[in-house]
Amino acid sequence: MRRTLDALYDGCAALAAIFMIVLLVMVLLSITSRELGFNVPGVDIYAGYMMAAAGFLAMAHTLKKGEHIRVTLLLGALRGGARRGLEIWALCAAALLALLSAFYSTKLAWQSYAFHDISTGNDGTPLWIPQLSMALGAIVLAIAFVDELVLELRGQRVEPVSEEAMHNE
Amino acid sequence: MSDITVTLLLVAALFLILGSGVWIGLALSGVAWVGMQLFSSRPAGDAMAVTIWGSASSWTLTALPLFIWMGEILFRTRLSQDMFRGLAPWMQRLPGRLLHTNVVGCAIFAAVSGSSAATCATIGKMSLPELAKRGYPTMMSIGSLAGAGTLGLLIPPSIIMIVYGVTADVSISQLFIGGVIPGIVLALLFSGYIAGWALLNPGQVPPRDPPMSFAQKLHESRNLIPVVLLIAAVLGSIYAGIATATEAAGVGVLGSLVISAVQGSMNWRTFKESLMGGTRLYCMIALILAGASFLTLSMGYIGLPRHLAEWIATLGLTKFQLILALTAFYALLGCFLDGISMVVLTMGVIMPTVQKAGIDPLWFGIFIVVVVEMAQVTPPVGFNLFVLQGMTKREIGTIARAAFPFFLLMVVMVLVLYVFPALVTFLPQQMRS
Repeated sequence: MRRTLDALYDGCAALAAIFMIVLLVMVLLSITSRELGFNVPGVDIYAGYMMAAAGFLAMAHTLKKGEHIRVTLLLGALRGGARRGLEIWALCAAALLALLSAFYSTKLAWQSYAFHDISTGNDGTPLWIPQLSMALGAIVLAIAFVDELVLELRGQRVEPVSEEAMHNE
Repeated sequence: MSDITVTLLLVAALFLILGSGVWIGLALSGVAWVGMQLFSSRPAGDAMAVTIWGSASSWTLTALPLFIWMGEILFRTRLSQDMFRGLAPWMQRLPGRLLHTNVVGCAIFAAVSGSSAATCATIGKMSLPELAKRGYPTMMSIGSLAGAGTLGLLIPPSIIMIVYGVTADVSISQLFIGGVIPGIVLALLFSGYIAGWALLNPGQVPPRDPPMSFAQKLHESRNLIPVVLLIAAVLGSIYAGIATATEAAGVGVLGSLVISAVQGSMNWRTFKESLMGGTRLYCMIALILAGASFLTLSMGYIGLPRHLAEWIATLGLTKFQLILALTAFYALLGCFLDGISMVVLTMGVIMPTVQKAGIDPLWFGIFIVVVVEMAQVTPPVGFNLFVLQGMTKREIGTIARAAFPFFLLMVVMVLVLYVFPALVTFLPQQMRS
């Protein structure tokens, strides 16, 4: 179970990284196409989809690496049971909100599919395809929060200390 | 229920949820959800999904992940060593000597990095040990680094400017170019303070390194060539109107990949690390932006920004008083929140007020950036303080004290911007014509 979940988070993150590279390719393509005078329809809109996919798919992995920021002033000041209580509250609230957004993101993609929503830009993409990334990312994030909550309740949660977090902003 | 009650209720809920340690992006959407359910008739869930999708996939924002990735690549190159070697020979004669490498190094690195903490970490990685080895007073080296690192935000490219530009609907290219002169002025203020301090405390400045001939100095400066080329490619293309901010970001990523390949610091491991680091950092910001876009929508439904603008208008504040009040407000907020959250949290509410008061949104963007810079060095939450705490293993209070004079210099900078708004608007106007 543990290994399946970790593979899920890391697999999605690897996908996100690939979308990041494709985003770069899209932007470079838009520059070269203008300089060389050929036209790739909707390349800027695709770049937007790539960015969304990169962001949403990496959500769970970023959480597990401890890089989503939160205000830890109060948590850091508390000890023992009080700290654990507050941590469980924060995880419960976050898991609930993540579940809500997973549900409605999926609903959005489903509705786009059912009503044949087409992008209003000149790319003409059926919107449910790019919106799948948001739905999938939100679902996996919700799983990750529930996972963290269960670990915390069992007393097995190890809070990651990130070296990377210091590049923030 | 009256507007005041609604406002107070939401603000209280927001601070309670944020303070209890719920992840910031989720806390924002949670409050937005509650606000929308209680005070408007539109179903909150569907509105949330549509709004978040719209903001997360918008073309204007695509500069953000790319500039973040570029910073992550450069952080893993030898750029900081090269810059120290290239700059140090020229700083020996100034009062304060090598302390200026912090300021000049940060200012130059800021022109290829969009982040304050990354600038601080990259430059400090080289300069802090070198300064300590030569016996420079620690408080000054730490303080000047903490202060100058914040130039990463003001000198373009800048993550916070992209976030502001997207939320306040101001051209990102114009913001970038508008930040150039204020950035240089602020760097001069920092350097001036160091020089003044050195003249007053000559005993504390260690002797200079053995002198070099002019030719030697020039030879050492060849190390600066790659970074100068990169700056020219990124900022030059925006200023000349060849590229949008997003396209310049694409060129920047490509350029930094080339630099690190030429330097030999690029291999599969560093490439993967920079890519994953960049993706995660972008993802962190994306979660906050998602929550903030929903909160902005929700507050718009409730009519909060409009009411606030009307209420502030009835106070009859002058423009100066308004700016002063906002500076104090953001400085206080900056003690507890990071810069991006600060901007996205307040912009939807503050912008109507600012526009009603007749303040130029472009100028206000640069003002916000300087105020956010202050937030980087105010305890207990200040990212530059965290970075330096990690690097020096000193108490955060000590670091904050060392940075305090530079915090005051940023307050001075706000006044300078208010008195001379042309510092911001001159270059963008040139660009337009």
